[in-house]
Amino acid sequence: MFESTSFFRIVKTGFVNFWRNLWLSAAATMVMSITLIIFAVLFLVFAMTSYSIKSIQDTVDISVYFKLGLVEQRILDIQQDLESDRQHVKEVEYVSAAQAFEEFKQRNASNPLVMASLNELTENPLPATLHVKGNTLEDFPLIAEQLKSDQYKDFISKVNFEDNRVIIERLNKILKFIITFGVGLIIIFSLIAILVIFNTITLTIYNRKEEVEIMRLVGATNWYIRGPFLMESLLYAFFSTLITGGLLLPVFTRLIPRITQFVNPQLTIYNQNVFNYFYIVLMLFVVAVALSIFSTMMAIRKYLKI
Amino acid sequence: MIRFENVVKKYSHSKALNNINLDIHHGEFISLVGLSGAGKSTLLKVIIGEEPIDGGRILIDDVDISNVKKSDLPYLRRKIGVIFQDMKLLPKRTAYENVAFAMEVCGHRREKIERDVPKILDLVGLLHKKDNYPNEMSGGEKQRVAIARALSHRPVLLLADEPTGNLDEVNAGEVLDLLLKINQLGTTVLLATHAADLVNRIKKRVITMEGGQITMEQEKGRYRL
Repeated sequence: MFESTSFFRIVKTGFVNFWRNLWLSAAATMVMSITLIIFAVLFLVFAMTSYSIKSIQDTVDISVYFKLGLVEQRILDIQQDLESDRQHVKEVEYVSAAQAFEEFKQRNASNPLVMASLNELTENPLPATLHVKGNTLEDFPLIAEQLKSDQYKDFISKVNFEDNRVIIERLNKILKFIITFGVGLIIIFSLIAILVIFNTITLTIYNRKEEVEIMRLVGATNWYIRGPFLMESLLYAFFSTLITGGLLLPVFTRLIPRITQFVNPQLTIYNQNVFNYFYIVLMLFVVAVALSIFSTMMAIRKYLKI
Repeated sequence: MIRFENVVKKYSHSKALNNINLDIHHGEFISLVGLSGAGKSTLLKVIIGEEPIDGGRILIDDVDISNVKKSDLPYLRRKIGVIFQDMKLLPKRTAYENVAFAMEVCGHRREKIERDVPKILDLVGLLHKKDNYPNEMSGGEKQRVAIARALSHRPVLLLADEPTGNLDEVNAGEVLDLLLKINQLGTTVLLATHAADLVNRIKKRVITMEGGQITMEQEKGRYRL
């Protein structure tokens, strides 16, 4: 019995319910908006931080300088050792001494002084190197530690990692804090939103007790009776997304480009998908609808006897 | 039309309906009498699926409704009109709107509602009060609006649970006359009441209940306990 007439009446009754309990509806919409704002802000901060970390991480590697004159096979063995550690190591790139020398020459081709000094040399002064990348930021210190062990001590002249360590660790801590704190906050406010909507819908059900009883008696289908309550809660979701979306618009058009510029001018995260305004608003709407439907269904199951 | 076969309904420890066997035929007018707690209301409630039964079965036109699915109950209820002692009208809606409401919630189109509601109100003699709110009407008039609402789906069966309980003699008489008129038009009526004088006036089948059992059946009977 879900033809257009019934559908239209369900939608209309939903609007009427929303309007009749306007203050309750406003409260539910506000709490939902606050939840969405927190959700959006945390999402943005999280996305920005993790994006920054990722771009820094991409530029970071551990450079392992080998002692001069070391047999190449030894280095390849160590490379293999590292590569077999799939749990921590993402990739290992080998640059031989000869390659390093070539690259150095190419880089300085325009500098006659350097070129002249190079020609004086009888042997290659550059060491062979391995460039190691970890899977995550936490892997870097572990890999560096491993390379400093007695096993490799005799072959390696220097492991270069310390430079970026402080930045990476700090970012990592921030990210962990954001995740823990943010997830906690989202859970708390989602629960508050669920409770407030649950109570609002329960009150609407109570206000319309007589109507519901008569509807049942005269043979209204279960969905015809439930529909308006679901519609009412969808309106909370819609209006709270609208409010949050409105508040987010200046953040997207003004604040984020500036922050991005400030944090790292080279990063073009503003163009990234996760920073797309409509994508985020859509995500917020989905969250709002999920919370609304969930709490309304709870209220209906508990208080709407059909 | 309706057949009760060994129907049992228990409330915690007591049996509200104890082995009820009953046949109700098309077009009958049956008065169901008995003291309060005899099981009259329960008998009506199990017919519309308001209360599930604990034993036996109920057949309506050979369809077993004892275990009808919850999602099918609304369609069963559209075949059966019900009226109550407390009328259950919506106070903020007019007579017209109360009847229209019942048709709206069942998905009838507006044109049909606009065509049918005045006819039904005319049938119960209240067309002139269609814009009145329940608190502007007498008890008898309110009950007639409730009857109009129950008739809006053209039910084959009308269940009336103490419809005159709150009414004075004159109003009660009006309501009874209306029920008889509806019955004459072809609707089966099952009237649960303990208004002896009304039952005696009807002179149709009377079923007496006591302690959840049918204790007496009379064709063209009188009110006797």
